[in-house]
Amino acid sequence: MQDLADYPFYRERLASAGELRAWTVADLEEFAAQNPSDPFAGRVLGDSVPKVALQIEATSEPPVWSALDVGEVDRWADVLARMWQRWGLAPGETIAFFDYGSSPLVLLASSSYMAYLKRGAADRLGVTAICNDGVATMAPRMAVIVETVQPAALILRRDLLAPFATALQAASIKVAEYLKWIAVSEPEGTPAREEILRYASVFGVPTYRVLRADAAFLLAGECPDCGCFHLDPAYQAEPLPSSELAVTTTFAQLCPAVRYNIGSAEIASGRCAREPRASRISCI
Amino acid sequence: MHLSEARVAEPFDKLDSFSTGELNRWWTRRMRSVLKTAAAELPLYADRFARAGFDPAEFRTLDDLQAVPILTKTDVLAAQSRTGSNQIGIECGLGERPGVTLSLSSGTSGTSFISHTPRWRRLQGLSASRAHWWAGLRRGGSLVLSAPAWHSYAAIQPFVAEHFGMRCVVVSGTYLPRFADRIVDAISRFRPKFVTMFLPMVFSILAAARRMGIDGRALFTSVESLVVTGAPITPGMRSHLSVLTGVSRVAEIAGTSENLLSVDCPRAEGLHVVPDTCYAEVLDPQTHRPLADGEPGMMVSTALIAAGSLFIRYDAGDIGIIDHQPCRCGLAAPRIKIFGRWENRFQLGARMMLPYDVQLALEQEVSELNGATCVIGREALSQNRLRLLLIEPEQSASTLLEAARGKLERRFEVPVEIVAVRELPLRFKGVPPILSESEVAAES
Repeated sequence: MQDLADYPFYRERLASAGELRAWTVADLEEFAAQNPSDPFAGRVLGDSVPKVALQIEATSEPPVWSALDVGEVDRWADVLARMWQRWGLAPGETIAFFDYGSSPLVLLASSSYMAYLKRGAADRLGVTAICNDGVATMAPRMAVIVETVQPAALILRRDLLAPFATALQAASIKVAEYLKWIAVSEPEGTPAREEILRYASVFGVPTYRVLRADAAFLLAGECPDCGCFHLDPAYQAEPLPSSELAVTTTFAQLCPAVRYNIGSAEIASGRCAREPRASRISCI
Repeated sequence: MHLSEARVAEPFDKLDSFSTGELNRWWTRRMRSVLKTAAAELPLYADRFARAGFDPAEFRTLDDLQAVPILTKTDVLAAQSRTGSNQIGIECGLGERPGVTLSLSSGTSGTSFISHTPRWRRLQGLSASRAHWWAGLRRGGSLVLSAPAWHSYAAIQPFVAEHFGMRCVVVSGTYLPRFADRIVDAISRFRPKFVTMFLPMVFSILAAARRMGIDGRALFTSVESLVVTGAPITPGMRSHLSVLTGVSRVAEIAGTSENLLSVDCPRAEGLHVVPDTCYAEVLDPQTHRPLADGEPGMMVSTALIAAGSLFIRYDAGDIGIIDHQPCRCGLAAPRIKIFGRWENRFQLGARMMLPYDVQLALEQEVSELNGATCVIGREALSQNRLRLLLIEPEQSASTLLEAARGKLERRFEVPVEIVAVRELPLRFKGVPPILSESEVAAES
């Protein structure tokens, strides 16, 4: 276990009683602005040489970087594999991505996409992966991909929902014939439920949301049954007095992610039949 | 010392030290094995070989390859349409192990799909590591990933990073000009010694750095080798990039998603075919017979890794030349140069030309225009005129452009017009795109 006082970013956030103040991307950016020579904003020890450095998409100028060690990349991919499994992805099927190759949802899919990843989520589940570059002008090509490859699952960036729907309509492609589910994400947080429900009816396919916080290596998927975000055992959630929720990522040792504030949320009470032991997050 | 006796200074492995004869014998064995696998396991090839009367058991020398039918993108798209699937009967070992990824080969004719198996990644990864070694990559340091996951290079670059024990740096977003500032941040912070980049992005990165108050040479100060890909570079463009970035070694990697791979050696006198990736031929487009060294023709390649999608005698639509003469670097693998695509050829006066020829002519006639960014006007070509829209040079613009106009007129024997502009569409890939005036107006 790390001593957080060794990390400049966390040292500043430790109260005298030893309690750590929860943090957000804004806190990270503020620290980065004050310490411009440190790409990791005080979250990686000076003598460490991370094998993987990820630029956090949700951070602006200067961008902040996260770091992962060799085994940690695989543990994060395991989280992703379990998320897809909960949604029913099975061996022999294909998952398609319409997103940037740099999104963790893509990077962690295959050892093809990411160095030092022994087995990506798709490799673990025995599914085939295909990615289309996540820009709106590539929507017609995405329509060709789904028509030809007929994937069982599709991961979409939220801002590509409209162009993709338009491209499908223009090519008269009905994805409901083969897609079992679609999952939608954005760089930080979660897409609005109403928008996703609207597109679920456009596509005619169950469409789920992803809760994503790259600064904390957090990925959680919306449950088809209870509508909450099932939290993988790799994460620990705790309520904050502000009616917000803090998440700690247990596999992140090189670049710790402790008490990351995901905003207004609560831990759902009761159990979900789909995964009775899972900790669940509601009302983002 | 005779050229054929030159020794590779830093061989990647034993294959780099092969003589021409040894390499040809090695290629023959490898080709025979690939052809046998194709006939035995891959329905599309079994059918095509049978129809052509080709029996891999009778394959003895590389000349026997002439009997193997040529595969084109049109054939691949037709097979895709016939099977109604991305799998068209050219995929090896898909069921052996999980971990298959698909990448895309796009173009004006349509999108085709390429299957990559874990075995392909391992073998192709090693071969690509050789290519990167030739281009100057060495152990340690950082590798900024430069390929989005949709491209076949994405299936290789992470392997290369691991093979050389490098830190893998992932920039957020994708490789479009609007993300260039993020790449500037990556280069500034992680100070890579080796950078490989889609050529148009290099210009976007330099422009982004300028906006951020960073001089291009300062940004690339740690870089010992800058490798550009995605477009052919002229000698002038190479020196222009070197001046802009301060990087002494600017190398080119050229190839196709279907496994043609070639790379500059330090001599930069043509790109060596990477021998464990592919075998390359340059053929007469009419007769499909091999052309003499230096004669431009169809660039046809055969992948030599029988795993995943296997492309045998694949014509990707590129025009190029081949040179089998020994290279001063000592590598026996022949050198090629791809100049462009058949679909981009145009007639000017008595000759058929490519945008590469225009770029080369500009820099040969007026050396101050090395690396000039320009567009070829489509409408003028239809009137047998050459009209260039060219970003205004910083110094002596009118004198330089007038000199260039006169010299190009004499060289091409057609009327030439050069118009200085402040902005052009972001379509310049190291050679000028051919655009209509309306496209230029809409995109500038």
